[in-house]
Amino acid sequence: MKNLKKILALLVAAIMICGAAAFAEDVNLPREETLYFAGQQWGTVNSWNIIGTNQNNSMAIAGGASGYRTLMFETLYMYNFMNGEIIGLLANDGYEWNEDMTKLTFSIKDAAKWSDGTPVTGADVVRTFDIGVEIGNGTGTGFKAYIASIEADGNNVTINAAVNEEGKPVNPLKVLDFLTGTPIAQAAWIDTVVERNGGDAVSILNDAGEDVVWSGPYTKYFADDQKVVLIRDDNYWGQDASMWGKLPVPKYIAHAIYADNPAGENALKAGEVDVCQQFIGNVQNLWLEDGLPISTYYEEAPYGVCLTMPTAWYNFNLPVLAENPALRKAIAMAVDYDTIIANAMTNQSPSFSEVPRSLMNPTDGEQALYNKDEVADLQWAGNDIDGANALLDEAGLLDTDGDGIREFNGEKISLNAVCPNGWTDWQASMEVVAAAGKNIGLEITTLYPEWDIYQTVFTNPNQTEYAIYMWSPEAASPSNPWTRVNQFMGSEFVGVENNWSGNWGQYVNEEADALLKKIPLTTDEEELKGLYTELTKIYLTEVPSFSLMYRPSLFHAVNESVWTNFPAGDDGRNIPPADCTDGYGIAALYELELVG
Amino acid sequence: MKNTLKQVFHSSKFLVGFIIFLAILLTMFIYPLVNPGNPLQMIGVGTFAKPGTYVSLYDATKTSTETLRLPDADEKRLAKLLTNEDRVAMVEWFTAMQISVEGLDISDTDAMIDLWKANYDPAVKPKGMTQAKRNYYKRLNNSIAEIGAAETLIITEKNEETGELEEQGKITKTDYVNTNAVANVKRLPLGTDNFGRDVLKELISAAGTSLLIGLLAGAVATLVGLTLGLLSGYVGGFVDDIIMFITNIFTVIPGFVLLILISYSIGQEQRGATVVALVIGLTSWTWTTRSVRSQVISLRNRDHVNLSKLSGHSLFRIILTDILPYIASYVVMAFILQVSSGILAEAQLSLLGLGPRTTEVPTLGLMMNWAMLYSAHTNGSWWAYFPVILTITLISFSLNLMNTGLDQVFNPTLRD
Repeated sequence: MKNLKKILALLVAAIMICGAAAFAEDVNLPREETLYFAGQQWGTVNSWNIIGTNQNNSMAIAGGASGYRTLMFETLYMYNFMNGEIIGLLANDGYEWNEDMTKLTFSIKDAAKWSDGTPVTGADVVRTFDIGVEIGNGTGTGFKAYIASIEADGNNVTINAAVNEEGKPVNPLKVLDFLTGTPIAQAAWIDTVVERNGGDAVSILNDAGEDVVWSGPYTKYFADDQKVVLIRDDNYWGQDASMWGKLPVPKYIAHAIYADNPAGENALKAGEVDVCQQFIGNVQNLWLEDGLPISTYYEEAPYGVCLTMPTAWYNFNLPVLAENPALRKAIAMAVDYDTIIANAMTNQSPSFSEVPRSLMNPTDGEQALYNKDEVADLQWAGNDIDGANALLDEAGLLDTDGDGIREFNGEKISLNAVCPNGWTDWQASMEVVAAAGKNIGLEITTLYPEWDIYQTVFTNPNQTEYAIYMWSPEAASPSNPWTRVNQFMGSEFVGVENNWSGNWGQYVNEEADALLKKIPLTTDEEELKGLYTELTKIYLTEVPSFSLMYRPSLFHAVNESVWTNFPAGDDGRNIPPADCTDGYGIAALYELELVG
Repeated sequence: MKNTLKQVFHSSKFLVGFIIFLAILLTMFIYPLVNPGNPLQMIGVGTFAKPGTYVSLYDATKTSTETLRLPDADEKRLAKLLTNEDRVAMVEWFTAMQISVEGLDISDTDAMIDLWKANYDPAVKPKGMTQAKRNYYKRLNNSIAEIGAAETLIITEKNEETGELEEQGKITKTDYVNTNAVANVKRLPLGTDNFGRDVLKELISAAGTSLLIGLLAGAVATLVGLTLGLLSGYVGGFVDDIIMFITNIFTVIPGFVLLILISYSIGQEQRGATVVALVIGLTSWTWTTRSVRSQVISLRNRDHVNLSKLSGHSLFRIILTDILPYIASYVVMAFILQVSSGILAEAQLSLLGLGPRTTEVPTLGLMMNWAMLYSAHTNGSWWAYFPVILTITLISFSLNLMNTGLDQVFNPTLRD
């Protein structure tokens, strides 16, 4: 009897092992034809509908901060944030503005084809924009304020910019964003989707789009809760000489769905992941100490290209913050940014003494856009406890009852510093902000709500729950730094419900608004520099928010166990470290080589 | 009483537990006197500095030197700059570049370096060589350049007025300084954590906080458990039914799940160390209640209790003078176990991010939580979490040992 039980147990175990093995072999991808990713897809893919919303399909449908991800769906142009170039993809190189920048014209490449073999035409561009406005998807809500209409004549397309009362375009920069940021969908497929949903906007937005038609080099192959795999479309039009002249090298693009950052990091270390878009603390130890074949875009710190600045926003719904510019500036001055950058970012960011704070990211192009000498007196590098204390004393925010905490209107100043739970580097930054408060007689406590809660609160324009909270402004696109400056100070976002667009602190400044209106229409470089300098002055005096660090919008660590010839800072190719997929970053896929 | 204590200290188990516990307590009181200051101060800029002694380089260059001619100094210096693996890698480079290595002795440093300097070019990209490998050769090239560095390093200082560099001193390869003579030497026996805090200092302070949390949680749990157990056991009847009904409900719900739910709903802003201790205490009293009750039931019909009843003594007097003393030893043991489990509960809660809010006091659980958030366990920074685990283990080990010792003394069935 005992033996029987043993045999039975063994049998069950054997069946389970066989079952697991069979399951694992479900999609067996040849390693030498597959490029593995990490850090993009965190759940089961829910949609392939390029005109829908609520997608989580990061490998196929994702408007990144460094350009659109063009693996499956393509944009008219590709943006290269390394040099600001706008390079033709579906459209021919060289778009043209008319004299007063109200009309932009370009033509679609003759070779461009949809996956069903029909040519991509201007009508597809028109339909993509129109349906967006009609049903209110990202394209529609993002651009309807800047684009009045799009017209097409065969392959020639004209974008009519929206104009204001004076007959001037509202914002030509945003029209350029349309070129590089909007994936074009096939008009015929859009008609099919509209028809099967009876024209109902909500059901069109939520259509799963399994039958979608694409123009890009890859298409869906397999997706479940373990991984998502794209397969190369060997009929891709881009192998025409007018585009790439060849197919991308990897046959499969695969992304295993990892539970969390450490899981993805371990997979990278083990060589199971080739391209890792995740923050890895002390990334240099992977090659210096562990001797792994891993490299980043730059060999030395900051290892990547920092395009954005995670920022702490002050809540202007709270009188204590809204009425005390001195308090806002004092906290910002007292924070020890060197510690944040060394601890939270493990030095993967330049410091604020290397790149003094302004409204610009650390790239040369943006840094040249303001006059450094004029604002030098207003900038601060942090950890200035004496200065911050003096500022608070001067503003009359004193500790009158001797409990060590300063008061405002008789109440002790008690603020919270908030970011989502589990966002480790941000949590560490908030700890440093709280520690700064202790040094200047303010009670600042940290609070880490779950992401679901955080996102509903900080996008609510009337919230008074969070005092200091983190979010990142935009990174790079043709319309930056204007878009970012507008996010810092533009009052157009004030009072907007469910606000994901900008100005999360509800700051209002009419002078800044006036300057912000002028910039998109200014082409003279000196004048532009003057405007940005004025805005920087306002920002550094009023301190509606303060940036805590510089940060790449995408991390780029590659393991060269299988693939090599990834873009690197010194290879002279100018391919941006955009995950080998975003904007002009996709050029990397055409130049990969196998090791050995 | 004296006799009891004597008996207790005769138990070797109790004695060992007591000594460990006392040692931890003493460290907690003495160490802050030796090394005062805020344990949460971020002294290191950067994450996870390794354990060791840190000598101020700035001060060291200004400290008077002794000349020591150590026979193996050059060898050690060379070994640090050029390992055997590096030498093999150099040969790999030569082979990849189709340079003849015939007759080359890998241990002949000069010959290796000469060949390297004559042939290495960072711009060359041998076919099939990865970026990571080429970066490695660049670093190796820098190390090799250092091997040939000058015998004497010159310290210069920039003259503020003229902007010229003025020589301030020289360092030769045989110059040594006594670490006692250097103005700033910092010993970090356990390195720093992810925030750049001194781990040892933080650990000792955290052990104190965790012990306080444990004591408070244990006290609350024991007090609640004891009170309910005494009432339920002695009074019996309807009161017993009610109390046992509540206790059973709490027993059925897993304590830790309850703890997580309560901690979560309180919200982080209210979660100080005291509140967390109270929550732990209020969710772990049930087993004390049950066991006290059963002890009391066996006591309540003893003669001396009945005598007390006949004498007209009040309920509380009977409980306090006629019952409590008989179960006192048991309650003390239960208390010790509650303290131990309170410390563990705090660590578990904090590990899940539901412990006391940070930045105010360090606790053992919070230290573990941050070490885990910063992947200390995968990046080899053992000093950030292993000493914490060891401390938790030692505290609960010593408490449990004391408990077992007491059990042997007081429990007649276990008595030798």
